[in-house]
Amino acid sequence: MQGIILFTVLASTYLMVIAKRMPALIRGFRYQSFCLFAFTLFAASGHDQPDLYIIAGLLFVLKVSLIPYLLYRIIKRIKVNEDLGLFINPQLSLLWALVFTYLSWIFSTHLIISNKITLTSMLAIAFFIVLAGLFLMISRMSALAQIIGLLVMENGLFLLASTVSGGMPFFVEIAIFFDVFVSVVIMGFFVYRINKLFTHIDVNKLSRLKG
Amino acid sequence: MEIFFILGIPVLLAISTFFMRKQRVFGIINCIGYLAVLFAGVSLFKGIISTGSAKAFLGFLYLDFLSAFFIFVISVVAFAVALYSIGYIRRDVGQGVISEKKAGVYYLLFNLFCFSMFMVPAVNNLGMLWVAIEMTTLISAFLVGFYNSKESVEAAWKYIIICSVGIIFALLGTILFSYAFSISGLSKSLNWSDIVPVAHILDKDILKVAFIFILVGYGTKAGLAPMHTWLPDAHSQAVAPISALLSGVLLKTAVYAILRFGMIIIKSMGFAYFAHLMILFGIISLAISSGFILVQKDLKRLLAYSSIEHIGIISIGFGLGAPLAIAGALLHVFNHAVTKSLMFFGAGNIVSVYKKHNMNAIRGVVKAMPFTGIMVLLGMFALTGFPPFSIFISEIMILTAAFTNGSYVMAALLLFFLSVIFGAFVYHFGKMLFGNLPKGMVVSGEPLSGKLAFLFLFSLICGLGIALPFIKKDLLWIAQRLLQG
Repeated sequence: MQGIILFTVLASTYLMVIAKRMPALIRGFRYQSFCLFAFTLFAASGHDQPDLYIIAGLLFVLKVSLIPYLLYRIIKRIKVNEDLGLFINPQLSLLWALVFTYLSWIFSTHLIISNKITLTSMLAIAFFIVLAGLFLMISRMSALAQIIGLLVMENGLFLLASTVSGGMPFFVEIAIFFDVFVSVVIMGFFVYRINKLFTHIDVNKLSRLKG
Repeated sequence: MEIFFILGIPVLLAISTFFMRKQRVFGIINCIGYLAVLFAGVSLFKGIISTGSAKAFLGFLYLDFLSAFFIFVISVVAFAVALYSIGYIRRDVGQGVISEKKAGVYYLLFNLFCFSMFMVPAVNNLGMLWVAIEMTTLISAFLVGFYNSKESVEAAWKYIIICSVGIIFALLGTILFSYAFSISGLSKSLNWSDIVPVAHILDKDILKVAFIFILVGYGTKAGLAPMHTWLPDAHSQAVAPISALLSGVLLKTAVYAILRFGMIIIKSMGFAYFAHLMILFGIISLAISSGFILVQKDLKRLLAYSSIEHIGIISIGFGLGAPLAIAGALLHVFNHAVTKSLMFFGAGNIVSVYKKHNMNAIRGVVKAMPFTGIMVLLGMFALTGFPPFSIFISEIMILTAAFTNGSYVMAALLLFFLSVIFGAFVYHFGKMLFGNLPKGMVVSGEPLSGKLAFLFLFSLICGLGIALPFIKKDLLWIAQRLLQG
């Protein structure tokens, strides 16, 4: 069961890597967060830890509902071109993603001491998600794509934390959730401002400061 | 006990900004509040030196010598900035650059920013340390984009994105640390005071990987090259008093985080690994910053690159590892914070009178503003390591340690870059400070609070420079104790 959920996490990340337009990317993020929610819920029922239920609930409220809603709202409000502005086209992005998957597999086999296959694959998937988030931030021109890339990286870290070290301490986890939410709100605010001052949200064209 | 004052006063001041109408009155209240914080900081520091370490708040807060020292540095700079802000904000409101209401927002953000910076050295949990550092980024992004111009919003965006990505890597490193801790068969915890005593039994390979992530992550925030790209933009676009806070103490809080993890690494596998990485990044920072300082045209960017240089010196100092070098690096943290704040205040005054950042267009500062001009001149010599100022002492301590350690190449490189930077500074500031005023310049007086802030910082620079040779022994003792964890 755990394997299936992990596979869906992986698939949703691939979905985001090949997305060309903003709504598709946000949808991908929502799928990914939902899969993580299912994963945490499954782990909670397995270990019978009440803390995990609260974390799963927060995951659902913040990352599956509230943050995608906010992002959709930003797109509607600023009425900007919904294209992501790809530096690297979807086909090549897919190839990159495959390379990343392989690299993170190699990395995690070196890092993990025990040879349990599930743990290694969990670790590999978590590293892959972090890398994919970074890739999204670098290879897309839209400022909103950068926000989503950051959120994807954070999702990867959440998976990493909950698999390898059995989750962060409870209140740290809560604080990180809060922090992520606040950072999305603040970044959204800056996207509004950029759109107002520059009449676009293309970060590639933000080049007034040099040297 | 003092820690409650230190954390509580900024929060109270932040809340009270909602009820204050007159920014002028509030500026003075703000300043008195930070004077109290400064006294609390000093007495906390004194207390910790005698008692060793203390926990508060059910072990949520943990204070030892290192954290008390950083809290002290933050409180000194925060007080100076609060003092300088009175005059600066009043002038901005007077000139119609910002509205009275926005001045209230400034004080609100300033207090929240200070609170989040005080949290960084005070928390015990390494995860909360991460959260506190991320909070400093999020709050100060507003202060970078405060003037809402195209440049400042661009700087704020780059700042928030680059630092957030950097700090995500730091979280990855933190998770790997906790992984190393959990596979050693101990109970789940991220408290620093729990991890350090068992550092020697943790898995070394995982710690090595984790520390690289930590260094890249928090190094981004600390402004270590080549992850420094956000720094000149943010420092040059922020409100002048905030530039002082960013450069003086925000970078140091990230250095503090690196040191915290570094101490675990040192305990676990000896000094070499930590030392090599720190010295490597330090030298790269020095090399890159000296190049940019030479060709710089923008006054505030020049100072920003100089911050990268000093962070490089600090990380070399910690990397050398001899007690003399550690003491020098700690002193350098303080000296640089104080001196760079003074320089940013001076730059703020200059920019608000001349209305430009470009150094080629600024001439005759000493004639236009005699007090600021002379302070900036002295501060420039202090910053580039001229005796009798305090930075000279800390740099000479690091250099001596490098020579006695036998790392001659590194010492030579350090000296070379320092002299290049010295030459560049004298060239840039000589042109700017002297010469004739541009035509049609109206010269106005300087606010009293600004002058007081200059004098306060300058007395610290000068006084410490003279006093340091006499208290070197105590410092070495402290550094030795720090090395033992």
